Amino acid sequence: MEDATRSFGKGSLPPGPVPDGLIRVYSMRFCPYAHRTRLVLRAKGIRHEVVNINLRNKPEWYYTKHPFGQIPVLENSKCQLIYESVIACEYLDDAYPGRKLYPYDPYERARQKMLLELFYKVPHLTKECLVALRCGRECADLKLALRQEFCNLEEILGYQNTIFFGGDCISMIDYLFWPWFERLDVYGIADCLNHTPALRLWTAAMKQDPTVCALLIDKNIFLGFLNLYFQNNPDAFDYGLAC
Amino acid sequence: MSGSARSLAKGSAPPGPVPEGLIRVYSMRFCPYAQRTLLVLTAKGIRHEIININLKSKPEWFFKKNPFGLVPVLENSQGQLIYESAITCEYLDDVYPGKKLLPDDPYEKARQKMVFELFSKVPSLVTSLLRKQNEEDCSGQKEELRKEISKLEEVLTNKKTTFFGGNSLSMIDYLIWPWFERMEILELNDCVDHTPKLQLWMAAMRKDPAVSALLMEPKALRGFLNLYLQNSPE
Repeated sequence: MEDATRSFGKGSLPPGPVPDGLIRVYSMRFCPYAHRTRLVLRAKGIRHEVVNINLRNKPEWYYTKHPFGQIPVLENSKCQLIYESVIACEYLDDAYPGRKLYPYDPYERARQKMLLELFYKVPHLTKECLVALRCGRECADLKLALRQEFCNLEEILGYQNTIFFGGDCISMIDYLFWPWFERLDVYGIADCLNHTPALRLWTAAMKQDPTVCALLIDKNIFLGFLNLYFQNNPDAFDYGLAC
Repeated sequence: MSGSARSLAKGSAPPGPVPEGLIRVYSMRFCPYAQRTLLVLTAKGIRHEIININLKSKPEWFFKKNPFGLVPVLENSQGQLIYESAITCEYLDDVYPGKKLLPDDPYEKARQKMVFELFSKVPSLVTSLLRKQNEEDCSGQKEELRKEISKLEEVLTNKKTTFFGGNSLSMIDYLIWPWFERMEILELNDCVDHTPKLQLWMAAMRKDPAVSALLMEPKALRGFLNLYLQNSPE
């Protein structure tokens, strides 16, 4: 995988400028937001390099890429920086030729953006469930709230009668949702999909997508990361790397 | 085309389909989010009709237009509905010809969206200050608002341009304008007293034809807010 490289931490030297013909993404192997950007890079076949950042021990130079040190950030060979995962994904779709992930039709494009609004509580809820479970706390209320969000998404699929959120082919909105669904199992909350069959069909269909497949994170490695992360171990981010 | 039509409330009959050649916006005369959409409609010279919605007593049929029951909502003659103010603005820019408000260049477009993110805390801060108008302690929130506003001043300083997208007015300026208009009317002007470039920007914005066409009557806004904060559906 392109992103199987050691993360940059405090005291590290900044990477040089981005070579022509390449785009760089500052990322972290387990971050769902950065995952969105990596999915789009892959889906569009964009030549890129990945620089992983140690999020518990950020390099000083990284704040020149993002004022708050967040990921993902794109940097191109003109030294232009683009951040916020959704903005980065749209930028890639606009700037690079080939397969368009957002629809051409303005109404359909607006529809995907409206769908994204429907999704906005999911990242926070899944994270809260993870933290609660990892800290040995109860999270029945959180799971209920998450199930409700999933019901809303289920309704959309039912109403549209399509496999994917943008129609019968995978498109941008599906990639923007995917990272959190991939994590349900490893977070221990896969049962939140119990009452949403269309959503389960969607996840099955997503797992068949070549791009999604290529970037699927190994469950054991993810669990290893989570264990170290919740012990506040700064080495968590490089867990599972070969050397 | 009248933005001054009485609002439709609970019990009202739903309006008919939108005639061809027209686009309809469900709005409310004092809503800053809806003002974004009206600014874009006006700036691009798009033929439109406005239906104002009584937000304290919403018609049942309005939830079929937007499940969240919020304005603005666009409805076209094909019956397609678009909501979320920023999404409506982008949709209009995509569909209608004439002056493009969003840049063609992917990076410049992304830059506008990043500035929009920088602005994101301002609306709720302005709203909460509005509600506290008669109370004493809003110094904390004013400080927070000043902080957020300084981020925007920094953008103008770094860019060395009059407007947020360059030397001409563009989408990002229209998207943030409604709150600055309200800050002036509601005497929150001291929140921009450390930001000279923003003050110049505000003056430049007032000269824009679309902005000036939609400027609210200060008395009308204040009157509305008084009633609104007392929970009167009028």
